[in-house]
Amino acid sequence: MSAGALIYCFDTEQVQYHACTNFAISLIKKNLNLPVTVVTNEQTKEHIRGQDQILLIEQKKGNRRFYNGNAVPWYNADRTEAYEHSPYDTTLLLDSDYFVYTNNLLQLLSSDEEFLLYQDAYDLTDRKSFDYQTMSVIPMVWATVIVFKKCEKSKQIFEMVKHIKSNYSYFCNLYRIQFSNYRNDYAFAMALNQLFPEEKRHLIPGSMSMLPADTEVTKIDEHGLTFKFDKYINFIEGHDVHVYNKEIKFNV
Amino acid sequence: MDLSSLKNRSDLSFQSALAKKNALEKAHSRSIMAYNGCLFRADASTINLISVLKQYHKEFVVLDANENPCMITDADGFLKLLIERNQECLNQYHQLHEQLKKK
Repeated sequence: MSAGALIYCFDTEQVQYHACTNFAISLIKKNLNLPVTVVTNEQTKEHIRGQDQILLIEQKKGNRRFYNGNAVPWYNADRTEAYEHSPYDTTLLLDSDYFVYTNNLLQLLSSDEEFLLYQDAYDLTDRKSFDYQTMSVIPMVWATVIVFKKCEKSKQIFEMVKHIKSNYSYFCNLYRIQFSNYRNDYAFAMALNQLFPEEKRHLIPGSMSMLPADTEVTKIDEHGLTFKFDKYINFIEGHDVHVYNKEIKFNV
Repeated sequence: MDLSSLKNRSDLSFQSALAKKNALEKAHSRSIMAYNGCLFRADASTINLISVLKQYHKEFVVLDANENPCMITDADGFLKLLIERNQECLNQYHQLHEQLKKK
């Protein structure tokens, strides 16, 4: 049975996602010792380093999001194809800005669960920036880290996500989601609610640690990172983290 | 003591409290472990539960973190793993806690 990590990476004019991806790959290799496949496009491909495989696609365009006060392109729609894109029996699907500083995720790969993701987020600045409870009638889940096995259940979930993506406005109205742009987090939340409304088996125990967009990463290396928000500076070491602010000065 | 010293003290306390809170969260994340295909938290509740049940039964069923039933056939082995993981997490937290106490 093969296992590996899958990362989607498409540079935009505003954000050089490949810098995050390259750093994420180096941490996955060091801490999880898993092969990494990167799904990318021709323009971004030449900047990717350290991967085992590259899968070239032409990314779906059209979606946008607010970043630093501006509406910028957001190439997040291809993640719904991860089931088909993954070459592995068990896949660890990660955002390019999720930095794996431990081998904790290996525990999830050892579990019998066929599909796992986080529902809760932990704000490392203690400002509870990721509390979206009032933004929809179902709890949001985080598509940042997904563990899935090639099986009927996972296939059904990804197919349902594709169906929801094609009818996103309808489903947003149905679940009263106050986020009109396509967002994978809500698409997966709705798909799981449609398919398995009573089950909680797909949740990763605990919370995903995150740094909000207004938090600057002032130093980063293979052991951890230092972050600054307001007038405060703090650090984490050996702690997996999802970093929202993409303007990271990598010097490793 | 002047006001600026108090403000500095207040900022330092906030940063220490945040570092402790984040370190505890790190310990919680580390405490998740897979056993027999199920996911458990290596916390006091799980350790206590296994300790008690193994006194009465050689084999028994417990619920994992996602409420899946899991048959435990080697309670001693499982308990050993739980305690090892629990102490690994808490020792790391203890070290940071001691460092911050000195500040």
